[in-house]
Amino acid sequence: MTAVAAKPAAGGAMNPTAMVVGLVLLVIILGICWKVSPGLGLMALIGMVVGGVLIGFGTHFVPVGGAPAAMGQAPGIATGVAMLAAGAGLAGLFGGAWAAEQGLVVAVVTGAIGGGLMMAITCMMVNFIYVFGMGIPAASGKVKVDPITGDTQPEFKSQGTEGHGLPFVSFVGGVIGGILAGGGGTLIYLMLLDLYKATLPTLMKATEAQIMPVAISAAGIFAVGMFLVNAVLTAYNITGTIEGPHDPKFKRWPRAVVASAVASALCGLAAILIVVV
Amino acid sequence: MTVKIEVIAGGIPHTKIMVGGIIASLVCLYLSYLNVVTGTEMFSFFGGLAVVAALIWGSNTIKVLCSYGIGTGVPSAGMIAFGSGVIAMLLATKFGIAAPIVTLVLAAVVGLILGYLSNEVLNMKIPAMVQSLTELAVVGAFTLMGFAVLMTGGFTFAALTAGSVTIMGLSLPSYQVSFIGGSLIATAFMLGALAVQHPFNACLGPGWTQDRMLMLAAECGFLSMFVAAIMSFALITTGSALISLVVALVGWGYTYMQYIGLSKRDAASWLDAKPIPDVEGH
Amino acid sequence: MESIVFGIGITALTGALATVAGAAEDTESNIGSQGDPNSQVQLAPQMGYLHRIFNKAIAGEPPAYGLWCALGAGLAWAFMAMQLNAVLAIVLGCVLAVFVQGVYSTTAYLGRTASLKKFGQPVFVDILKSMTTVTMAHAFIAIFCTVTLCYLMNAALGHPFPLPLLGLLWGIALGAAGSAVGNPYYGKERQYQNQKFGAGVPIAQSGNIVRYAEAGERNSLDNGFFTAKLGGPASGVCFGLIVFLELWRTILFEKIGAGWGAIIVGILIILIFTIIDRSIEVWARKTYGPYAVPTKEASS
Repeated sequence: MTAVAAKPAAGGAMNPTAMVVGLVLLVIILGICWKVSPGLGLMALIGMVVGGVLIGFGTHFVPVGGAPAAMGQAPGIATGVAMLAAGAGLAGLFGGAWAAEQGLVVAVVTGAIGGGLMMAITCMMVNFIYVFGMGIPAASGKVKVDPITGDTQPEFKSQGTEGHGLPFVSFVGGVIGGILAGGGGTLIYLMLLDLYKATLPTLMKATEAQIMPVAISAAGIFAVGMFLVNAVLTAYNITGTIEGPHDPKFKRWPRAVVASAVASALCGLAAILIVVV
Repeated sequence: MTVKIEVIAGGIPHTKIMVGGIIASLVCLYLSYLNVVTGTEMFSFFGGLAVVAALIWGSNTIKVLCSYGIGTGVPSAGMIAFGSGVIAMLLATKFGIAAPIVTLVLAAVVGLILGYLSNEVLNMKIPAMVQSLTELAVVGAFTLMGFAVLMTGGFTFAALTAGSVTIMGLSLPSYQVSFIGGSLIATAFMLGALAVQHPFNACLGPGWTQDRMLMLAAECGFLSMFVAAIMSFALITTGSALISLVVALVGWGYTYMQYIGLSKRDAASWLDAKPIPDVEGH
Repeated sequence: MESIVFGIGITALTGALATVAGAAEDTESNIGSQGDPNSQVQLAPQMGYLHRIFNKAIAGEPPAYGLWCALGAGLAWAFMAMQLNAVLAIVLGCVLAVFVQGVYSTTAYLGRTASLKKFGQPVFVDILKSMTTVTMAHAFIAIFCTVTLCYLMNAALGHPFPLPLLGLLWGIALGAAGSAVGNPYYGKERQYQNQKFGAGVPIAQSGNIVRYAEAGERNSLDNGFFTAKLGGPASGVCFGLIVFLELWRTILFEKIGAGWGAIIVGILIILIFTIIDRSIEVWARKTYGPYAVPTKEASS
């Protein structure tokens, strides 16, 4: 209900000063990292920033309607945006972590496809339940014509609602969002895993095989933590609901990209300092 | 139209709860250092008490933050708190005896920057945002450190990553059977993330009262401590884990009863197997 | 070859477990009015509609199930570290996790209802007793199946993540799938059974939920009874497909082309689901027709 009634104070406007401050912060954090660990650490941090940005940007694509969607009052998936993105991204992380031995590129792509697969199945089932369970066709409330298929939308919107279900553009958005989130989460995990695998044996005076459980666990929980931070920041950016890439709120993505980059750099720096200080 | 979240004045001021929460958590975390001094693991239960103190403080912070209507649900605040808290807390464990203090500082820095990002870069313009996210990051880090102490008996990186496994009566060192190596930290993460948001999420509404919410926060803390104490049997001696378990059960029983009493006090009526009452004017 | 056959068997088993977990999860959350439809149960008394529906607001389903499954997995892991048999450890862990779920449910119902004093909504103790136990039973099925499938992934298929972390990942995914698919069916179709079929609930009608049953007053068991017939199984199919296809493509095709085989198969599966989704959408538009035409026939 919050999405319909309460329009929070956050507008679509950008705050140029804050954006610049954010970018300066990013450079400072990268600088600190370059100072303490120029080679391995900096590479890992850059990877994590890229991963965080992918998560933040990808979450904008995920069509989430919040509580009104559960009543067929607004289009999108009826759940929270941060947690749906987390569900997709973590399912991707599961696949990516499994493929970690096959190299960075294969693992990241595997993670991305895992996230996309989860979203594809979920979005399909959402439309399934709307159409066959409730007899409601999909209709967008924000655009007149579906930008991909060219289907007209307003006449399929039932009276007194903002639309319902997932029009095709939202479906595609969901899949793209899952792909980006899954890939981003996997990238963060792999960067940390490589770093920990290389540094923990000397730090803890044990063989690589012995510290593997610690490295995997620590990298995994950091990936989950950074994932949630980025997803929640993006949820704040779009004030909880979005229809997909055609929604006017989508244009706010530059703000989230800057915020995600700084937040990931900050968290990533902390994760790197654990092993290099 | 909407579930109204109203700002209600009165009760204990937030600053008082915050200061109390910081001091109580820090003291409890340091009291667990008695483990090292005495060479036992008997004082691990102080970690659980630190969790309870931090959660009481955190639930009131969430109340302050979510009274503004942040656009997403209350639970997201718990998620970001622990997402940032886990990172600060793990880095702080590298600093040995200074770890709790370092946790406080590091988590505050991380929270401050996240608060700035949400308020300025994401343009949310919520007055309490920066302070609340700072506090929540500290709450998250303290809670996780409390759970770590409760389950392992220590708050250093070595204590969190090393364990021992007994095979045929032989005790062998193992990194797999440890707080981080076995990913018990993931369980602690979710235990805390739900416990910190639940009190306000469950008590919100026009009839919100502070004492009831804080009692629920303590109840959530002891309940989490109870299950964490059961997990601690795997990592610390049976006797020490038993102490934590008893403390948690007593605390949980007391706070749960109190909470039910307070709900009875605040509820419109308390009916058993009765139909929906008639409301005047309907 | 033998290992592939073994892997396929485990994959099928995990898929089946996931399907059961998804169905139980959705039914549990509907009986508890958890997730987004909760807003209406909370709103109704404010609009003057007092009700006997269970209202257990413990976060959304993804975080809640993230906790229950991570907790069940963490406890099971701890029991296994104490040299307990794996089956016994998983059952014990899930029992304790369900205990926590039950306590959270009661405090959530008491808290939300007590805060509605202004509107005269009473606390029904019989609702608390009968609904909490039923949700605990469903939650046990969901948690047990999820923790077991995580254990199979870790122990039988060799996934590197430890059990509690897998519990966290799949718990959140379970909650996300269950709430996405199950919420609209409960929120629109059951809560607003008094509204037109085949159309969204007009925003002006928010809060006017159905409070009376065929005989007597509706409670949440009636809701679970209703959604268990379509919303629950659909959620189960959704989560089951996610788990099964993710494992299936990895087990069978990972060795082909140094990992690229599994990726190509994944892309193909995504394309297949895209086509299915598009055909459902087009079918609905053709069969149900637009609302704007005068006859306004939405139901078929």
